[in-house]
Amino acid sequence: MNHRALPYLLTLPSLLLAAVVIFWPVYDLIQISTHEVSRFGQLREYNDFANYTALLEDPEFTNALLRTGLWTLLVVGGALLISIPVAMILNMDFYGRSAARVIIMLPWAVSLTMTAIVWRWALNGESGMLNSALRGLGIIDVNIQWLASASTAFPMQVLIGILVTVPFTTTIFLGGLSSIPDDLYEASALEGATPVQQFRYITFPLLKPFVNIAIVLNTIYVFNSFPIIWVMTQGGPANSTDILVTHLYKLAFRIGKLGEASAVSLVMFAILLVFTFIYVRLAMRETRA
Amino acid sequence: MKSAVWKSALLGGMSLLALAAQAAAGEVRVTVAEYSNKTGPYFAEIEKSFEAANPGIDVQIEVVPWDVLLQKLTTDITAGTNADLSIIGTRWLIDFVQQGIAEPLDGYITPEFKDRFIETFLSPSVLEGKTYGLPIAASARAMYYNKDILSKAGVENPPSTWAELQDAAKKIKESGQDAFGFGLQGKEIETDVYYYYAMWSMGTEILNADGTSGLSTPGALEAAKLYKSLIDEGLTEPGVTSLSREDVQNLFKQGKLGMMITAPFLSNQIKEEAPDLKYGVAAIPAGPSGARGTYGVTDSVIMFQNSKNKEEAWKLLDYLFQTEQRAKFTEGEGFLPVNKEVAKGEYFVNNADLAAFTALLPDARFAPVIPGWEEIAQITSDAMQKIYLGKPEDIEPTLKDAAAKADAILKK
Repeated sequence: MNHRALPYLLTLPSLLLAAVVIFWPVYDLIQISTHEVSRFGQLREYNDFANYTALLEDPEFTNALLRTGLWTLLVVGGALLISIPVAMILNMDFYGRSAARVIIMLPWAVSLTMTAIVWRWALNGESGMLNSALRGLGIIDVNIQWLASASTAFPMQVLIGILVTVPFTTTIFLGGLSSIPDDLYEASALEGATPVQQFRYITFPLLKPFVNIAIVLNTIYVFNSFPIIWVMTQGGPANSTDILVTHLYKLAFRIGKLGEASAVSLVMFAILLVFTFIYVRLAMRETRA
Repeated sequence: MKSAVWKSALLGGMSLLALAAQAAAGEVRVTVAEYSNKTGPYFAEIEKSFEAANPGIDVQIEVVPWDVLLQKLTTDITAGTNADLSIIGTRWLIDFVQQGIAEPLDGYITPEFKDRFIETFLSPSVLEGKTYGLPIAASARAMYYNKDILSKAGVENPPSTWAELQDAAKKIKESGQDAFGFGLQGKEIETDVYYYYAMWSMGTEILNADGTSGLSTPGALEAAKLYKSLIDEGLTEPGVTSLSREDVQNLFKQGKLGMMITAPFLSNQIKEEAPDLKYGVAAIPAGPSGARGTYGVTDSVIMFQNSKNKEEAWKLLDYLFQTEQRAKFTEGEGFLPVNKEVAKGEYFVNNADLAAFTALLPDARFAPVIPGWEEIAQITSDAMQKIYLGKPEDIEPTLKDAAAKADAILKK
């Protein structure tokens, strides 16, 4: 058996599968986005990237693009900041740890759409749980109309995004933490290291590969995440909470501009590809050094 | 070598798809919109009774939520896996006709069949002299008012003009009840339509006589200013841009709204969910000139051009549009009758709520039959949300901007 061909042969089945489920749609998208298309996806003539120039001229697209960046940064950043301490606590040995782990993981078990629908109800201005809770606690006198404008709706969406991203991220970090040998902590404690120093010089550096994985995977998920924003505001009011996926959905299925919508999804694909490529390169260089 | 493997894999995948798309003989697939939880059972019943009467025809019903219907149809048609019949919003019909997707039904329609329908509701499905769809659901809009709230506020009769409505809403606010005057919808489907009610009564149409957008006319400005002043004076529910039609209807059912404009099906919902609510249905308020307008909507069943079993599909349509089936559907969903015989039935003749809706039909406007209508509706909805959230001095520029965008689409 030729050993050099073996790895390729072994990965061939998954490559073929990837070809069907990834490369084929991407090829189709390239076709649609570079042609004039009918309302129902029939290709007409090639149109000199008119779909792409239409995007550049559309301020809603630029706004959605910038907002997607902000959304991804806030949700991924927030989830990382919360997940590291949460994972460290859950990694300690304390009474009720299993119950605590289950509670942290629960949001993961509920479908994203259901979570978003429940929050939409909870944030209802007149009959929402959040307002009645805040009123009951005496924090507010007048109901807050959470979803009426982007200034309150978007931060809430980011918070919910963080909430549903934490379980997955925590799981990654828990795996990372359990791979750090206890001897390191014992030895450093003997040398008089404080918990802060232990975190800075032992936990964090050894957790770094896991942080990198969490950043890459979460960025891909969150960048493409549709349900939270769609269910709660459909990108509104007046497109002020639109991110690229919701913008794309409206373009394709509300308005019927399949060509421009395909262009948006290719732009998204390219951004994620470039991001992942650069990030993986940077992360690999670091580990090699 | 490699590319041969690729090709065979692709071909294999495609032939599988092609197999799946191939309809079996005598099979009629129907995509229907889910109007309420009664829609599914109703069509299941139809499937059973029709199949019993027509052995050899296999009916398959797919019930799809309204929100995703257009998306499903778009993807199905693109992939060539669409059903034989489908319910669509009649306002989408022009796209289906222009792309050659809907089959003209004139070859099947007999004068007797045509005579079953009320003309007002059949005509939106007729394009360029050909009938492409059969109206399965029809509705119009009227004003619901809460009798208790109005009487506690000292308002005797439901307002018949916008000035009276504003006055009534003020009185409701001053009476200190735990209720809001006028329910204004500011989110999701039909946000634009809610604005047209006021716009039509100011004498402005969606399209001017020359085919440009009506949004830049003085009437459109008056209407927007009216709604904005209702919001700013606290005469509507707070946070209008966070309330969809269903959210506003819920407030009404909870007895927290004095007045709102919506469709006949709210009566059915009130009967089931809030039977003690004392409410009435009145005409949509008129403008200073006495003009008023309501929104007429129909949904149609179309036959797909690529259907393999058109004869069988037509048989099902013929069955679906008989008086008995139509009456059951229309009563259950709370729509307006589209069949003449159904309209003469006891249920509709003695129904005061529905009478208010039918009385408005002469003033009904249907969505304009133009390509790109959905985009113009979206632009209008966005403009309204901006106006409801913005400052009063921004109303005019926002409308002008929306009109310019709409005109650019209309020119194409």
